[in-house]
Amino acid sequence: MKPLSERLNARLQRGDRRPWNSEELPAGPREPTPASDPEVDELVTVARWVQSRPQLQADPDFVELLETRLLLRHAALRPKQPARKVLSHPWRVHPVYGIALGICLLMLLLGTGVLVVAAQVSNPENPLYAVKRLEQHVQISLAGSPEGQAELDLQFAGEQLNMLADLADTAHAQAYRQALADFDQQVSAAASTIQGLPAAPDRDRLSSELATLKGDARHMLRGLLPQLALAERLLTTDELGRLGDTVPRLQSVEIVLSAQPDEHATISITGDNIQPGAQLLVNGQVVDVQGSFQNGLLVFMTVWNGDQHPQSIGILNPDGTVAQTTTITLKSSNGNGNGNNGNSNNGHHGNGNNNGKPDKTPTPHH
Amino acid sequence: MEPIGRWLDQARRGESEALSVLYRQFLPGVFGYIASRVPDRATAEDLTSEVFLKMVEGIGQLRARDEAGFAAWLLQIARLTVAGYYREREHLPTLVSFEPEDWEEEALGNGKALVSMYLGMDPAEIVETQDEWNTVVGAINALTEEQRQVLIGRLILGYDVATVARMIGKKANAVKALQFRALQSLHRLLKTGRRRDISREASPIQTQHRGGKP
Repeated sequence: MKPLSERLNARLQRGDRRPWNSEELPAGPREPTPASDPEVDELVTVARWVQSRPQLQADPDFVELLETRLLLRHAALRPKQPARKVLSHPWRVHPVYGIALGICLLMLLLGTGVLVVAAQVSNPENPLYAVKRLEQHVQISLAGSPEGQAELDLQFAGEQLNMLADLADTAHAQAYRQALADFDQQVSAAASTIQGLPAAPDRDRLSSELATLKGDARHMLRGLLPQLALAERLLTTDELGRLGDTVPRLQSVEIVLSAQPDEHATISITGDNIQPGAQLLVNGQVVDVQGSFQNGLLVFMTVWNGDQHPQSIGILNPDGTVAQTTTITLKSSNGNGNGNNGNSNNGHHGNGNNNGKPDKTPTPHH
Repeated sequence: MEPIGRWLDQARRGESEALSVLYRQFLPGVFGYIASRVPDRATAEDLTSEVFLKMVEGIGQLRARDEAGFAAWLLQIARLTVAGYYREREHLPTLVSFEPEDWEEEALGNGKALVSMYLGMDPAEIVETQDEWNTVVGAINALTEEQRQVLIGRLILGYDVATVARMIGKKANAVKALQFRALQSLHRLLKTGRRRDISREASPIQTQHRGGKP
């Protein structure tokens, strides 16, 4: 025989699906039982009695009222739920999503922070300077129109120009060179974009702004020249030339060496915009010697007392502009000449390709 | 997915209709559970309201996806709500009035809401109703929590043994045993209560468990 709990369950199982609306008090099992089982009968009666208690049944009015209350409460909560859902759902679905979301948020925060800090950077030696330049490039490429791009180019060029003023000393030579190159690139980009604009008031306005910027740049760069070392002066002079300023340019340099040892050398320089009082530069050093103009040539007479040949010859104008060349022709006073065919004029450091060497070099003035 | 699973998903997404369906389906079980544990209908209704408001607020975070899981969650809320009710009552001072109390309030034991609820009824009927309530409450409160949950699941919600087993996290045989012991205890308690009622027929206006913790 099955245990009591099994027999009881079997009896309850038969047709005992929720008699909720039945008000009658069950007097016993509803269905005929196969065999008399008084103990189980009694418990089934108790179960039916409990099921039928009106005290355990909710009042229909209360049911309606509570449903209304719940729906009102739900309606009041509903506007708050979507935001919470968006935030909580990825965390709830899988921890990996949560971690990924966390990392993304962190990267976003860090990225935003880096961009904000980078935007304030004004020194190319700062590692964030590259981020700032990248940020500027992105801004320009995202500009909706060529006019917008040109405006941004001009704006960033102005910022670069201001940056140069803070870097114009020997301690920041590398940073100055980088900032100057970026300024040049920005101005070129602005000019190119403006040139590509159709003839319209916008183009005129932007051209005028570019001209103003170039004028300001010329003025500022000239003011910076005295503070710069020779290499930066050469670059700045070059930039001034690209900005439309009058800068010296060397066409030829000829060195005539005296036949006797320990004698003099005559250095003749031709070029444009060489000012009276310009100083001689040999291998990037000022030589303490007076020059004079003779038939359109600037001629220096100097003692040639070194064994090394000159890599470069240049001039330093009284206004601070510099020109230099590695294209040097060497001659001896007995008529034998050796060409020193270097390249790069007017501020460029070319690599001279010397076919002949002078016997001696002048003593530079430090 | 069983139908209840779809309603649960929709309710989680905030659909009112799904909430209504769930409420209608589970109200009898929750109300029956609470009513069998508190001394009067008004308290049962208050606590039932509390449970379903918590359901509305918390269903978005609910993980249960089947009927048994949802019923277990609701009954857990109901159990904690009833426990909270009794905890609060323990901290309330006992007030003893020197004035003679209204007979209706004496009979019902709880406030004007109950007076209005029973208005129009025969006083003897009111007493009988309240006595019967107290008998049921007293008997069911004497059961263990697991026995109560099995009775609610089996007799009021009408679930089969397997569903109740999932609901309370037990095996089917354990549920059958709990069901048997619960009905046996109720049988014994109700017989005792009935004998006590007969012995008190001379003084009918008396109540048991007047709001005290059983």
